[in-house]
Amino acid sequence: MGAVYLTSQYGMILVPLANVQVKPGDKLRITCRYSHIGKAENQTLYAAIGNSGWAGFDEVLHGSKTISVPEDSAWDYHEEYVDISITTAISAGFYDLYAKIGGTIPEAISPTLHDVVEVMAEIPDSEFGEISITNYTKV
Amino acid sequence: MAYYADIVEIIAPGETKPGSRVDITVRIKNTYSSPIGIMANGALEYGVSPWPGIVFPNPSSNVNAGVTHSFSGYFTMPEKRTTIHAYSYYYGADGSWHLDDEMTKTIDITEEIESQFGSIEILSYARR
Repeated sequence: MGAVYLTSQYGMILVPLANVQVKPGDKLRITCRYSHIGKAENQTLYAAIGNSGWAGFDEVLHGSKTISVPEDSAWDYHEEYVDISITTAISAGFYDLYAKIGGTIPEAISPTLHDVVEVMAEIPDSEFGEISITNYTKV
Repeated sequence: MAYYADIVEIIAPGETKPGSRVDITVRIKNTYSSPIGIMANGALEYGVSPWPGIVFPNPSSNVNAGVTHSFSGYFTMPEKRTTIHAYSYYYGADGSWHLDDEMTKTIDITEEIESQFGSIEILSYARR
């Protein structure tokens, strides 16, 4: 389970984050809040699930979309979401999550949320193994 | 110093965006001892010739002695810092308009801030 450390005047507190269970065929919707100042522009909102490690974030699945960022004469906050389609390209397990604005050189990157996405194993197609008589009576 | 049509002030924003409509007011006082006809006019100085004019939908009015009249005008802000030149005229006994006073006011271009992003955080994540 992931967690976020929040600073306060009393020190650090730990807020545990619930994880979300997904399976192939689902979509994971990530809602983000970002701060902005300046001219209006179109930008890419991007989110990925994968594994965060010493070498960076190893992305397994990602989603992106173009967002219209309004003109802000002073720093302002906006909310947007992006969906990641869960496919069979990802195996079962716990994964990390992050989001960013921009492309290869991002304008802003979110903190990584650790182990918040649990990918469930795909449920196999309906199949019958054997059948046996368990009882027989007069009715 | 004006003879009869004294420009008291130009009311206009100190800065605005290029291409935006700028509404101004030119306040002109009749300093003569009886009512006279007063007219407002204006032009924009920003490096082009002839100077573009300012639109005054109702440019003239009969103004009582000692009264200050407000003349409303407008123009489209050019791409550069612009100086408003406002002029006043009085209607003379000879049946002509006479240039009387001038006042200037400069309007700067609003500096546009380049787009910047401060932070992004994930608020929620949910299966759809």
